[in-house]
This record gives sequence, structure tokens and C-alpha cells, in this order.
Amino acid sequence: MTGGQIAGAATLPSAPPAMPLQDTVLLPERLGELTGLDGFGLGGELLATFLAAFIVGNLMLAMTGVAGPWAKRKITAAFTDRIAVNRLGPAGLFIILADSVRLLSKELVIPENADRPAYDLAPIVVASSALLGFAVIPMGSGIHLADPEVGLAYVFAVSGIASLGLVMAGYASSNKYSLLGGLRAVAQNIAYEIPLVITGMSIVIFAGTLQLGEIVSAQAKPLLTIAGISIPSWYALVNPFAFVLFLVANFAEVGRNPFDTPEAPTEIVAGYQTEYSSVYFVLIYLGEFLHIFLGGAIIATIFLGGPAGPGPAALGIVWFIIKIWAVFFATQWLRSAVPRVRIDQLIEIGWKGLLVLSFANLVLTAVIVGLIA
Amino acid sequence: MSTGLEREPSVEVTEDELETLVGDRALARDDHLNAPGFVIRPDDVQDVLTDLRDEAGFDHLANLTAQQYADRYESIYHLRKYADPTQEVSIVVPTTTDEPVSQTAEPVFRTADWHEREAFDLVGIDYEGHPDPRRILLPETWQGHPLSEGYDQEKPQLVTLTEHANPVQPDHHDDESDTMFLNIGPHHPATHGVLHIETVLDGETVVDVDPDIGYLHRCEEQMCQNGTYRHQIMPYPDRWDYVSAGLLNEWAYARTAEDLADIDVPEYAQVIRTMGAELCRIASHMLALATFALDVYGDFTAIFQYGMRDREVVQDILEDLTGQRLMFNYFRLGGVAWDLPEPREEFIEKTRDFLDGLPAKVDEYHDLLTANEIFQVRTHDTGILEPEVAKQYGCTGPVARGSGIDYDIRRDDPYGYYDNLEWDVVTEDGCDNYSRVLVRMQEVEESAKIIEQCLDLLEDWPEDERTVQSNVPRTLKPDADTEIYRSVEGAKGELGIYIRSDGTDKPGRFKIRSPCFHNLSALPEMSEGEYVPDLIASLGSLDIVLGEVDR
Repeated sequence: MTGGQIAGAATLPSAPPAMPLQDTVLLPERLGELTGLDGFGLGGELLATFLAAFIVGNLMLAMTGVAGPWAKRKITAAFTDRIAVNRLGPAGLFIILADSVRLLSKELVIPENADRPAYDLAPIVVASSALLGFAVIPMGSGIHLADPEVGLAYVFAVSGIASLGLVMAGYASSNKYSLLGGLRAVAQNIAYEIPLVITGMSIVIFAGTLQLGEIVSAQAKPLLTIAGISIPSWYALVNPFAFVLFLVANFAEVGRNPFDTPEAPTEIVAGYQTEYSSVYFVLIYLGEFLHIFLGGAIIATIFLGGPAGPGPAALGIVWFIIKIWAVFFATQWLRSAVPRVRIDQLIEIGWKGLLVLSFANLVLTAVIVGLIA
Repeated sequence: MSTGLEREPSVEVTEDELETLVGDRALARDDHLNAPGFVIRPDDVQDVLTDLRDEAGFDHLANLTAQQYADRYESIYHLRKYADPTQEVSIVVPTTTDEPVSQTAEPVFRTADWHEREAFDLVGIDYEGHPDPRRILLPETWQGHPLSEGYDQEKPQLVTLTEHANPVQPDHHDDESDTMFLNIGPHHPATHGVLHIETVLDGETVVDVDPDIGYLHRCEEQMCQNGTYRHQIMPYPDRWDYVSAGLLNEWAYARTAEDLADIDVPEYAQVIRTMGAELCRIASHMLALATFALDVYGDFTAIFQYGMRDREVVQDILEDLTGQRLMFNYFRLGGVAWDLPEPREEFIEKTRDFLDGLPAKVDEYHDLLTANEIFQVRTHDTGILEPEVAKQYGCTGPVARGSGIDYDIRRDDPYGYYDNLEWDVVTEDGCDNYSRVLVRMQEVEESAKIIEQCLDLLEDWPEDERTVQSNVPRTLKPDADTEIYRSVEGAKGELGIYIRSDGTDKPGRFKIRSPCFHNLSALPEMSEGEYVPDLIASLGSLDIVLGEVDR
């Protein structure tokens, strides 16, 4: 399933893309065409959509599968002068298999006083909320499930649901460490989601739309051309200040160093996930990694030109994954090198620092864009 | 780099002056090898100790030994001066066997709190007026006092664990207040061993802290009492502070027993001891630094791993020297087990290589750790331990020096070869977690200086004068009722040992003064009113080893 249909494929390498990278045809429709399902009316459309979602979901889950048991260990080991997994398979890659068997075959221990439906639902909420976000992300190479007009708002909204899962996990576990972790998670998410969204809004002012496909294509325009090489107007280059703000707020949002206070292994054992074992633990862990990747996907989409990159547009997905992994790599780098801030300092940085800066950024952006227009 | 404040000259108190000060309250004299001793009545304790502290400047209750004789119980308060630890006085408080009640010293020295609890726990002396007369090392339900006469060791003890019958206690400490009771430990990622901290939280603020120790109590004192002086005791000190401070601990026993039995140590052996001990100090401080970073960073981060990596090199050198990596058993009474490993040049070169690389590594630590702004925000002005409070709790070592107390046994009560070497005592006045880290980092550099000089000496030492041990009788039987308290500067502070000989080849009473025990007892002062993460950081900055706290 290639080809001619993909917009921008005709663009010559190194020349500024003549056409936006935005996919004119979304993945479910293309699948419907290819499999002939579109001939079956609404039922066929639904099936094609489900199939497309299945592909995207599994792509993301596979990435977290690689990231969790293997890449994370290897990256941290490189930072800390170690070797990490190297017994199973090339570079220890088969540890992914061994780890999944190990984790899934463990006993699921449920605390006696756990608040049952909430305790069971929490891991699912945490994991699924992140997966939902990927539905509107344009990943290039024609992989784009849906492109609603409120795309950006939708992404923030569904990833925000995770906070609910964390509170449920923290409260329902009937463990004081979990409770502390849950409370910290909420305090942190509220404090950092606002700067995150406000900074996102400054991009909306630039692009003039919430639709992620449009935001990506807006970034394909050349910013300036030096010696024949054109530099695209990625918003990270247009407004580096907003990029940094967003990056910091995002690290807090996904709960990674220096903002990993909700888990804080040395303080509150493992925070909200203290009482989770086996499959539930895997789900929560998956959810966390999915959130890192979703954060990466949002950053890639609104700041780094989405799937844009040198080479034919068919390589879009490759560039997109590289960008996501770059963000993941940054989280692991910080984890190895930066101390954790205290919970009160974290809240202070959020409300007194980031929030103010993000509003300043928003107002400035609005003024500048207004003047230029 | 701070090399400490100018030391205030301490006024020497002569024995006559002491005698006048104690006056009629002294029932008799009971001199120890290290200090004059006064026997006083059990209800004069606070009186006498207050006078000695305020009038004569004995501001350091170094140790409290409790023991039972055939006809009486005895508590010995070993007093010293922070300004000059060679000035010592022992206050002996006998009580009857039928009614072993003695006045508490807690209002005069806060550190007596834990010590008297231990004395009650292990020996069975009651301290009247003690604010918290609970057992400290053994479970609440324990029957009898293990170090008292006539204690039946064969009797099985049922420990019903009533104190932990309900590990998840109700959320509210009491119904009225808004606080939460939280058990931190005994199994918790940041307690550096099996320590249980009973914490009361108001939100995230720590309202009350009560360290509960004893999970690692291995009867070390009693085991030492059952071993012969000559060879059977030396392996035990390695197991007190078991994180690579082995030789420092061994030296505590070696010094005490050598002074007790009047054994000379050849100069050559002293140099080797000094070098080995300082290597251990580097290894120990590296670990302290690494785990403190772990507590603050919250994960096995680069700085933790770098600390472990560099400690590994020291560990290799120590293995070459002693044949062991942790439980060295290298010191002997009257010297060390053997000379440097052959080929000597190779060993010396290896050690020199390590020392040459050290400054770069310390710079790296400073880059990663102390220069990091988040780290500074986390550690500045947290875990405040004012010098006066530190003295009250008997804090020593890097913890005291981080509070500006210029106290180092190596310099103030010299032993080994330290007196002949060029080095400085490091102090910092910050009184906070950050200062304690700085002190440790600088002490690593000072230790490196000492090792460097020792290596120079060892290299040039004439081959026919390399005596590693003096002649020591096969069986040591110090005179009956000789008592001595001696201490060395261990990795965590003043590591002291009290020995009373009973005329046999085994000690009659063997009491360990653990620096971690004192330092940990100051934790509530440091962390109450601060946040949970600060409590964890303060605990990490104390650098305790539960093996030494519980013994």
C-alpha cells in the first residue's frame, strides 16, 4: 500500500516541500479502499476504522514494549557506566520476551481493603487515556486515524484523563504511600497542565487552527533559506522559548525527572503504583511509557514539524518515530543526571514560574502575530 | 576549602579541681585507665553531670556503659570535652541488685535518652525520671535482660509482634487531629538498612519522628565478651559498620585492647594501619556520597554509579592489601597481619594511580552534585543541626563537622601515625545537609593526602626494619577489674570501645560506642517541621549503617 496517493511524494529531496505533509486521505479510508471494505456501507467503514486503530495502537504498544524493558535499561546504563541486559539475544533484545513472560506470570496481589472497581479500573484508565491521544496524531506515511478540527484540544483532554486514573490508583489501593503519591500526582498534573495547554495555545495562534494536520502543514513553509538549504518553520525554531516551556511542562506532566515526585521511589516507595503487581503493574507501566511517547508525539507534531524530514515523504513515519524517541531519550537523560525537586518546590515552580512564563509567552505571541498580520 | 575554625584552647581541669568539684558527692574513686573515675550516689547523677558540664566543660557524653556485678549494677557515664577529648572523666553510678534504680541523665545530656533505654533493655537498670522508658533494641515483649547475670539464654522467647500487629494502622493518629501516622520502614527503599521510622505527618509535613531500631541487633557486644582478646574478637568489628569501614572499626578494638594490655605497635605497622584506615574512609565516604545522591535524586543515577565505580578501585586495593573485600580481619593486636603484598612496587603504584585520578573524580562529583542547582535547592537549609544540639546528642564525625564542631579524634587524641603527617580537619558551618556532603567530599581529599604520605614512607622504609607485628603473648589476661574506654575516628565518627577485664582471657564487659547510634538519635531534631523528602535526605546525610546502630 504505497504510493502515488501519498501527498508530497513527488517532492524532490532537499527542495522545499511544495505540498503540505498533511495526509489528505486518512488511514481508515485508505484501508477501506484497499480491502474493499468501503463497499459494505457503515459496517465496513467501522471495521476499517477498527483495523486502522488496531495498527496504530499496536505500533505504539510495540514501541513501549521496546522502550520499557530494553531501551530504558540500555540508555540508563550508558549514562551510568554499566552494560545492562546483554545475555538474551543480540544486545540483550530478547529480554523483552523474557520480561513480558516474567511480569505477566506473576501473582496478582490485591490488597484486602482495596476499593475494588476503582482499583481494577485505574490501570486501564491510565494506559488507555494515552492510547486515545494517538488517534489524532499525524504520523506521516499515511498513518493518521482522524483529523478533527479540535485535534489539539482533544489530545490534551484525553491525556488529562490519566490524572483520574492516578487518583483512583492512589486512593483505591488503601495504602498511605499510594495515597500520598496519588495526591502528589493530582497536585502536579493540575499545576503543569495549565502551562502546558497555555503554551500549546501560543502555537495555535501561529497556526490559526487546532487541527493537527493543519498545524503540521503550516510548519512545512520555509522559515528562511541559507545557501539553497531551506529551513522549515518548525515552531521550535520560530519560538524556541515556547518549545522549552512546553518541554519542561511535559516532563512534569508525564512525571519524569526532575519532576517524578508522584513516584519518588526513595520517599514514598512507588507512589500510586505501590500496591500494583503483575498485569496491573504492567498496565500502569505501559501507561506511563505511552504517556512519555504521547508527550513526544505532541512535541513532534506542534514543534518539530510532525513527520517532516529529508527524503521522500513516505519516510514520514520514520522521522516521526525518531522525534518521539528523541524526547524519550531526553527523559532518560534527565533521569540519570538531575535530582528530583521537592513537592513544594515542584508546585512553586509550576504556579509561580511556568504559569507566569507561559502566559507571558502567550501574550507576546499574540501581539507579534497580530502585528505581522 | 575550609580547614575549620580556630580551636578554642580548652582549659585543662586537673584531677584536684575535679575532686573539689565533685566534692562530697564522690563516695569513692574508681579510676579507669583512660580517666579518673568518681563513684556517686544514684540520686546525684543530674547534679554531678550538670556541674561537670557547666563548670568544668565536659560537654560530651561520649558513652554510657551499664553492667552487672555479683553484688551491684553499675552505670558508667564517660564524659569528654569536644574541645579536647583527651580530658576525660568517668562517673560511676552503682545501684543495688534488688532495686536497680538510678536517676536519669537525660535532662543534662539528650543522648542519655537512647543510652539509658539500651542500658535498661540489655542490662536491666531502671532510670528514674526517664521520659521514654521503653526497650530500644529488643522487642517490647522480650522477657529478661540479656546482659544481666542469671539471664536464661536457653529460654525460648515468644515475640508476638504486638507492636506490628496491624502494619496499616488507621489513617489518623488520633481521632481529634488531622495527622497521618506513617511507618517508614523497616522495608523501605531509603532507610539504608532495616530501620523503622514511625512518622506522623500533617499533609507532607513531618510532625513527629521516632526512629525504631534493633532490627539488626546481633548481640555483637556479647559475642565479643565470649571471644578471647588475642584473636577471636578482631573479626567482629568488621561486621559493625559493614560498608567498607572495616579497618577503621578494627582499629577501635586494636587501640583499646593494646592500651588495656599495654602492647606496643611497631611504627611500620602504624603506617600501614594509617594507610589502610584512610583507604577505608575513602571507600566509606564514596558510598555515603553515592547513597545520599540516590536519596535526593531518587534513582540509580549517574552519580550513584560513579561513586560505586570509584569505590570499587579502593576495594580492589584493599583486597590486595588484606585478602578480603569487606570483612578484612587484617589488624592484629600489636600490628597488622602481614606486610604489603609483593611485588611492593606494583601495589604502591596501583594505589598512587588511584590517588592521581582522584582530584579529577572529585571535580566530576562537584560538577554533577554540589554544583547542580536543584541539588542545592534540595539540600541547603534542610536538616538543620545546630552545633549545640549536635553536642547534646553526642554527634561526631562528618555530621558534627558539618555543624562546625571542630572535633576529630585523629588529631585531638592522636593514635597511629596521624600525628606525624600533614593534613587538615575539615569543617563547614552550614549545619545543613549540603554541609555534610561537602565535609565528606573534602575529607576524601584529606584522606588521599594522608595515604600519599604513607606511601612515600612505606616506599623508603628500610627493608630490615619492616616489622609488622610486635611480640604479643599467645594468651592475654589483663589484670582483673582494669577498665578502659578508647575511641578512634571511624568513618561515621567517634567509634569507642569500653572494656572491663575480669582476669580471664575474655573481656568481662565489652561495650561499643557507635557513632551512628548517636547521629541517628538526632534525626527527630533535624527533620521535624520539614517535608518527607527532607526527612529522607537528612537520614541519608547522617550516613548511618544499621549494623553499627544496632550492633
